[in-house]
Amino acid sequence: MVKVKKWIKSRIKKPEAEYDEAKREFEMAMGKPFISIKVEIPKGFEDLRAQFLNLEKDKDFLMEVEDLVKKWLVYEKRGVKRIS
Amino acid sequence: MEPTIIIIFILIYLLTILLSATEVVSMSIAALSGALLTAWFGLQYGVFNYEEAVGFIDVRLLGLIMGTMIVVEVAEKSGLFRFGALYAVKLSKGNPGRLFVSICIISAVVSMFLSDPTAMLLMAAATVTISKLLNYDPIPYFLSATIMINLGGTSTLIGSTSNMVIGVASEMTFTDFISYLLMCEVALWALTIFALYMLFKPRLGKKKALPEYNPWQSIENKKLFYQSIFTLVLLVFLFLILGNLGVGPEAVALGCAILALVLSNSDPAQIFKGLDWETLVFIAGFMFIVGGIQKTEILNVMSEQLFLLVGGSPLNTTLTTLWFSGLASAVVSNVAIALTFVPIIAKFSALNPTLRPPVSSALVLGTNLGGATTPLSGSVCMMAIGALKREGISMSFSEFTKIGLITSILQLGVSSLYLIWRFTLLGG
Repeated sequence: MVKVKKWIKSRIKKPEAEYDEAKREFEMAMGKPFISIKVEIPKGFEDLRAQFLNLEKDKDFLMEVEDLVKKWLVYEKRGVKRIS
Repeated sequence: MEPTIIIIFILIYLLTILLSATEVVSMSIAALSGALLTAWFGLQYGVFNYEEAVGFIDVRLLGLIMGTMIVVEVAEKSGLFRFGALYAVKLSKGNPGRLFVSICIISAVVSMFLSDPTAMLLMAAATVTISKLLNYDPIPYFLSATIMINLGGTSTLIGSTSNMVIGVASEMTFTDFISYLLMCEVALWALTIFALYMLFKPRLGKKKALPEYNPWQSIENKKLFYQSIFTLVLLVFLFLILGNLGVGPEAVALGCAILALVLSNSDPAQIFKGLDWETLVFIAGFMFIVGGIQKTEILNVMSEQLFLLVGGSPLNTTLTTLWFSGLASAVVSNVAIALTFVPIIAKFSALNPTLRPPVSSALVLGTNLGGATTPLSGSVCMMAIGALKREGISMSFSEFTKIGLITSILQLGVSSLYLIWRFTLLGG
């Protein structure tokens, strides 16, 4: 019986990338649109790896990022040229 | 022919079925290994020669499947099917009953064009997202979508791979499919949705406001979107007038595939990458194995015995084909069942030419309906459970089987009544 259960479990197909992609499209369309950005640890801060990884869950940090997004969108709205 | 040789060919066939059903190895590898053994033993013992062996693989069938896959892959890249799903959800206006029916209908419609695993991925993503947004129990929506995906496309030539196998071999045209099976499919859709609704009614949730969204915003390239609709409509139209064109369905499918590739201007490598090569290779390999068995004459003998067993009666032959193929498809790949039954039907038709339409229709229904009986019945069911697991939702084997068994038996029962009415009372 245990072997049968194990075999059944092994046959369950876990859809990976394609499913995530399809789900993201629906979440974007039905819920609030969102973006995911990959940010690498800046050079010279390698010893702060743990603190860097914690930023992902840091509410203050996320609010600051949100403020930054708002600022950029206001620029976009007003057609202001940004100096890079 | 020596009985030992016949036994070897039957063993190769059964081993391939067993390996592909249990997925000890991938189904394509199982079929290719079986084909290799068939070729080796067949040539070694003089069952067939090399020229005969080359003819075992029906290139027309592979052309039809590949052409259809390319047209649909381009349409999928355009976001056409996602748009349909988003629109169906929006039409429900947050009413759980309407949402349930919308999801059931769009699942069946989408699977008329997309392969079942691709349709499953799309509808799994849609049902999980909307259930989370509205805080509904996802299982009723999800399981119903799985069952409807299995049911969708029963009445069209391109609705499923097994339909294409049966259509090409039995020379059933697109209009034959519609004429013989459309009414049955409509009845099956209505009854299955009703049965699922009654089974899940207490779990559907209360009415909630849908989030505001515009399905059109999900379309990134409107030109490609309209081109995809055009190509799909053209494909169906050309299938409808096929009799006047003087070519086979594979020519139409491949022609439309080329048109879709040219019009879409998309990277062909990406399109080809999205095709279901596993199924294509499995079909090619399995066709070879069945071709080898046919040369041993065992299928002919079996067909004659089966025909005598059911007393040669058209009604008995039709119903036996329906139930046998339906129950077998609950355990084994429905494409394998279709490929095996095609020569048997050819023999039945040779014994009684009036049998071809009812028995072919019964085979189409049987191979389509058995596929969602248990979680192990097909890749779609396994994928559905896998997607739920990924979301941290568990559904027991017995919960799935209970619903799957009720709907499968209901569908096979209704199909039996339809076949009796359509071919016995109404006449061919």
